Amino acid sequence: MTRIDEEAVDWAARVADRDFTDWDGFTTWLEADAARSARYDAAVLALAGAERTVAQLPAGTSVVATASQKPGPARPHAGRWLGAAAAAAVIGAIGVTAWQERAKPYAVETRAGEQRVLALADGSSVILAGGSRVMLDRADQRRAIVEAGEALFRVRHDAARPFRVDAGGLALTDIGTVFDVKRAGALTRVAVSEGAVLVDPDGAALRLDAGETVVAEGDRLVEGRVAVSDVGAWHEGRLAYDGAPLGEVAADLSRQLGRRVRVSPAVATRQFQGTLDLPSLRSDPATLGALLDVRVHVDASGWTLEPRE
Amino acid sequence: MPPTGLEAVYLDNRDRLVRFLVARGAGDAAEDLLHDLWIKVSARPNGPIDNPLSYLFRAADTLMIDRHRSRIKAQARDHAWSEASASEAATGERVVAARQEVARVAQVLADLGTRRETVFRRARIDGVSQRQIAAELGVSLSTVEADLRVACRALAALKEEL
Repeated sequence: MTRIDEEAVDWAARVADRDFTDWDGFTTWLEADAARSARYDAAVLALAGAERTVAQLPAGTSVVATASQKPGPARPHAGRWLGAAAAAAVIGAIGVTAWQERAKPYAVETRAGEQRVLALADGSSVILAGGSRVMLDRADQRRAIVEAGEALFRVRHDAARPFRVDAGGLALTDIGTVFDVKRAGALTRVAVSEGAVLVDPDGAALRLDAGETVVAEGDRLVEGRVAVSDVGAWHEGRLAYDGAPLGEVAADLSRQLGRRVRVSPAVATRQFQGTLDLPSLRSDPATLGALLDVRVHVDASGWTLEPRE
Repeated sequence: MPPTGLEAVYLDNRDRLVRFLVARGAGDAAEDLLHDLWIKVSARPNGPIDNPLSYLFRAADTLMIDRHRSRIKAQARDHAWSEASASEAATGERVVAARQEVARVAQVLADLGTRRETVFRRARIDGVSQRQIAAELGVSLSTVEADLRVACRALAALKEEL
């Protein structure tokens, strides 16, 4: 690191302190050379990235990870696209969840068929779909982890304290926002209906604006569009799809209806595009057959979606 | 009615804030950016602010950091999409690189020692003020500042290498 980079890191550390007031000193340092501002930006991002990795390592047990793994040579094209992969790898490699040591986490769960509205102290709210689980933190009201199911976030924006959501190894921060996060097997879907969200803020920093979605599987991201009115429509009793496998639709129906809906392997990967109205399905599973072009077999254990004869 | 509170502080310090934004790389756009920033800041729900001037400077600094992020985002995004369609081997390589990163960060933390690691975690991850950390650890504020400086430099240097 050059001397300027070291100074830039020092400023980044100082400025982040809530008691920092030496803005004139900082301005003077910046003004000495027009290149310094960019070095400071780089330092802020480098620290944010380091922070995320540190947060995922258990405190004080850092030796464990180094015992057998000698760091190899730097990889020039590993690039900035490390965030999601790093998060996933950490969970896989050392078996800890991405949660902080000092945090006071607690879980909120819903049964299938249930919905819950959580009002957070900062004015934000989270609506939990049926069969879902979200971790919140009493020590930090501005973060959440979607562990299962689906949640619709209505975040009160605060530029100084972005709201952070983790889901399936994917990190998100809000930029003034209503957005939906859903875990479906190995997939994590994010859809924005208002404002914007940064996906993997310290890596790809992919910005999703209203009407945009991203589907993440491992470290692979696929971007798409969505009608704004369809985002989180489940909380108004609608499930809207623009090409989702029936397996996922069945899992959603199970959670939202509180009734076991299975899908036979023959049709599990078939794509569905359209909107399902939950209240009418609740009373009449036959409609579902027509909408999904399947036969709905009903027995004591629930509904099974099967191919039509 | 004369402006009060945050607005009065804003009006009194517009020049300093513009100068800061210029120094932060805003160039000719500094005036416009400050104006937009004020519109946003003034729309926030009312609540007590410890130090209004510092609050405004911080908002300006955060704005410039966000702009920097958006700039690199475009490149990162193209890069990510092309990589996302690349072979499985590339995915494997990223996982290996990510594991190496974790191992290196763990090594740096081990080298830093427990107190510096604690200071880094409390300050950077838990968002606790350096003054409070000093009180918690029973050391002077300047010790905490020095610990944090060393830890941040070591971790940032690592990030740069990667």
